[in-house]
Amino acid sequence: MSVTRKGRRVLAATAASALLAGSMMAATSTSVSAADKTGGTLLFVTFADQLDHMDPARVYTGRDIAFLNTYLFRNLVMYKAVPGSAGASLVPDLATNTGVPSNSAKTWKFTLRKGITWQDGSAITCADVKYGVSRVFAQDVITDGPQYAVSMLDIPKSADGTSAYKGPYKGTGQALFDKAVSCKGNTVTFKLSRSVADFNYALTYPAFAPVKKSKDTGDKYDVKPFASGPYKIASYKIGDALTLERNPKWKKSSDTVRTPYPDTVQLRFGVAQEVRDQIFLQDSIPNAINFDGGMLPTNIRKFFADDSTKKRRMNVYDPYVRYAAMNVKKVNCLEVRQAVFFAINTQALIDLSGGSVFYGDPGDNPVKPVLGVDYTKTTGNIHDSAWKITGNADKAKALIAAAKAKGGACADVAARATDADRGLVWDMAISATNQKAAVLMTNALKDAGISVKFNWIPPGQYYSTVLDSTKENDIATAGWGADWANASTVLPELFTKEGGFNLSLNWDDPAYPAFKSLMTKALNETNRAKQAAIWKQGSQYVMDQYWIIRPVFSKTQFAWGSGIGGVNYWEPQGNYLFPTMYVKQ
Amino acid sequence: MAKYLAKRIAYTVLILILVSISVYLIFSVLPMDPAALTCGKTCRPDVIEANRHRLGLDIPLWQQYWNFVRGMFVGRDYGTGQAAFHCDAPAFGYSFNRHECVTTLIKEAFPVTLSLAIGAFVLWMIVGVSLGVIAARFKHRIPDRLATFFVLVGTSLPTFITGLLMLVFIVMRFGLANPLDIGKWVSPVTDPLGWMKTFIWPWMVLALAYAATYTRFTRSSVIETSSEDYIRTARSKGLSDRVVLWKHTLRAAVAPIVTMAGLDFAGLLGGAIITEQIFNLPGLGRLAIRAVLIDYDLPTIVATTLLAASFVVVMNLIVDVLYAFIDPRVRVA
Repeated sequence: MSVTRKGRRVLAATAASALLAGSMMAATSTSVSAADKTGGTLLFVTFADQLDHMDPARVYTGRDIAFLNTYLFRNLVMYKAVPGSAGASLVPDLATNTGVPSNSAKTWKFTLRKGITWQDGSAITCADVKYGVSRVFAQDVITDGPQYAVSMLDIPKSADGTSAYKGPYKGTGQALFDKAVSCKGNTVTFKLSRSVADFNYALTYPAFAPVKKSKDTGDKYDVKPFASGPYKIASYKIGDALTLERNPKWKKSSDTVRTPYPDTVQLRFGVAQEVRDQIFLQDSIPNAINFDGGMLPTNIRKFFADDSTKKRRMNVYDPYVRYAAMNVKKVNCLEVRQAVFFAINTQALIDLSGGSVFYGDPGDNPVKPVLGVDYTKTTGNIHDSAWKITGNADKAKALIAAAKAKGGACADVAARATDADRGLVWDMAISATNQKAAVLMTNALKDAGISVKFNWIPPGQYYSTVLDSTKENDIATAGWGADWANASTVLPELFTKEGGFNLSLNWDDPAYPAFKSLMTKALNETNRAKQAAIWKQGSQYVMDQYWIIRPVFSKTQFAWGSGIGGVNYWEPQGNYLFPTMYVKQ
Repeated sequence: MAKYLAKRIAYTVLILILVSISVYLIFSVLPMDPAALTCGKTCRPDVIEANRHRLGLDIPLWQQYWNFVRGMFVGRDYGTGQAAFHCDAPAFGYSFNRHECVTTLIKEAFPVTLSLAIGAFVLWMIVGVSLGVIAARFKHRIPDRLATFFVLVGTSLPTFITGLLMLVFIVMRFGLANPLDIGKWVSPVTDPLGWMKTFIWPWMVLALAYAATYTRFTRSSVIETSSEDYIRTARSKGLSDRVVLWKHTLRAAVAPIVTMAGLDFAGLLGGAIITEQIFNLPGLGRLAIRAVLIDYDLPTIVATTLLAASFVVVMNLIVDVLYAFIDPRVRVA
């Protein structure tokens, strides 16, 4: 099962990007005049009943962030609205620049532009920015959003490990928050608990966007947020549609990022998947865009096999790396982890999920190539001469034998792994695809003499189960995408004890201290190039220890109607480049 | 009659109280933690506990139930400070997934389900009873055989098959409806034509399954009644077949059909889950299934369950009273 994390990447001139270029849709000709782009209704269709969230403090899905940041919300900084690697650069949005760090990047200042307004014409102030950030701390009201404000701002923790500041609704610890985020005129200052050289990237999240206090309705803000962007909400009915209309108070002179082409933006919910796919297969609604990314398996093949749809589709690498995390506390033997890795039939698993054309390729790194400077081709793992994409049972058997010969913990784990009555236990979310995958993995591991059992978990409970270190079994399937164009949101999150998504539980591994030291060095490094070099070392380290196995660099597909122009891929957002899309007039 | 009605109403209230308690008890013993299921992506233990508090699940079960009962009479308050809000009585609770008071959600969903139920009911009664009567009248002849075939097809094809076939191969393939208008709710008062366009397909799908059952049932009931002595007497008196059928046979045959129809209609008012899902109708069935499978939304589950139970119980009462009028031999005690 994959996590729907947002992904932001820098596309560098790597082999992977060259591979992508051939399959990506070129932007519509720039010779189209503004008049030919302006007007109409941009109609997005989805089978979901609603957006997960519209509250800026709670939205945490890459697609939704890109959509809402384009039409409804403005942040202090934004990604540049251009396709390709240049799209990962930051540009000022509400602020006059992309932030001024000081004190070894523990302090960051942003000055607000003049002339920025809410949808009612009132000015957006520093106090609004401060209030917006404070809401994240009200964890009993604001759920599900990114926690970077909580982890990065210099606010002490309570005895139970939670922040001493409990948000603006209760006000407990308000003085502590006021010290960490302060306003002087139009300048907001953030004081961080440690050096964060890429803190301004975190500010592309709506969780750091301003919120007007008088318009805050707590939980209900999730369906009626107050707009600062070029559009405002005309109506929102869960299960029916979200309709955005032009915000007459938004001024182009204050916004260098967005040019609002359509008169209306509509998101239609509850469109059955087969109905949705037929709309694009038949091009029956030319101004429709598939909001979901991808189609049903039989339809996606049909759609991409049809030459007439060439100009209405994209097949690109998404932000995520999908992998299986080895619980190092329980599988505390490198040779056994390696044995599982070599035994798995990766080809069969990829074919099951749609094949390499639509699903993705075997990966060699927890960091994806599109992260650019932070990615490196590692050695070993899939580059090991003994690795076979269909699995190498002989190599796996040899590793198991070596583990048994080693004695101690290795011998115990190897004995358990090869015991038909015990075996390794793999946590898996219940789904038809996963159940088929389980059969493939059982057979491949059996050929290598390894026994595996599956612990089936209802999808909604999967992550709350495996993230509980007392409940996670030997292996857990997961997926992760960088939250912004820096491996700082990948390696520490996944592989340090403090990380929010560590399924490897590796901190007792003898190899951990050296890795932790690398991570600490990287997080405190303010020179980007030096930092990238350390991340690369960290990635190699992770792969050498087999703390994860079977990474896959996955793909996603997009489809739209013939009446839509300006469709591109927004690298850092992992989704449509919404600001350039228009309805052909 | 008044005494009978008073007693039945008292039983109804008691049953609904028992149903609501049962739902709370069942929810509490389920092997899943709603706070963990709905805590989002960063599901650490402290986040789960904060979510549990948000959902009001960190208090004893009896207190949760008392808050629910109290809310039905005086409404309920949620949140603190700037985030505070109120759900007016009768307050079933608040849906944190839909960000709306459950009573409001029910008020929006019910007209959709009512429209679906009424239209399908009228259609299946007309088709089912008529075909059943024709089949009985022409027993063992061609009309009967055709009706039997219809019964076989209608009862063997599940609703999700007929619904999908209807949607994809008829509606979409022949462009009989705008795919984005499928399931679009419009009021029958403001736009009766639009309302009919939305519901004609789900009516047909739902009615097919029920009409087949009613055809078979009506046929059996009419045939059974036709063999009664008083029917033979009526015939021997020289009355025409038409008079015997309409004036004597049907009156007796319709009684059990009324009972069945009442209960089936009541069941539909609780939500035709599959049909609503396929045709994207925002009715009670869709609301309920989403609350159970996706949102783990206890207040919505309690509300939709109570509503469905009350429809069945009330309809039982109506049918019992109606029966007394249809069949003079029956007296409500």
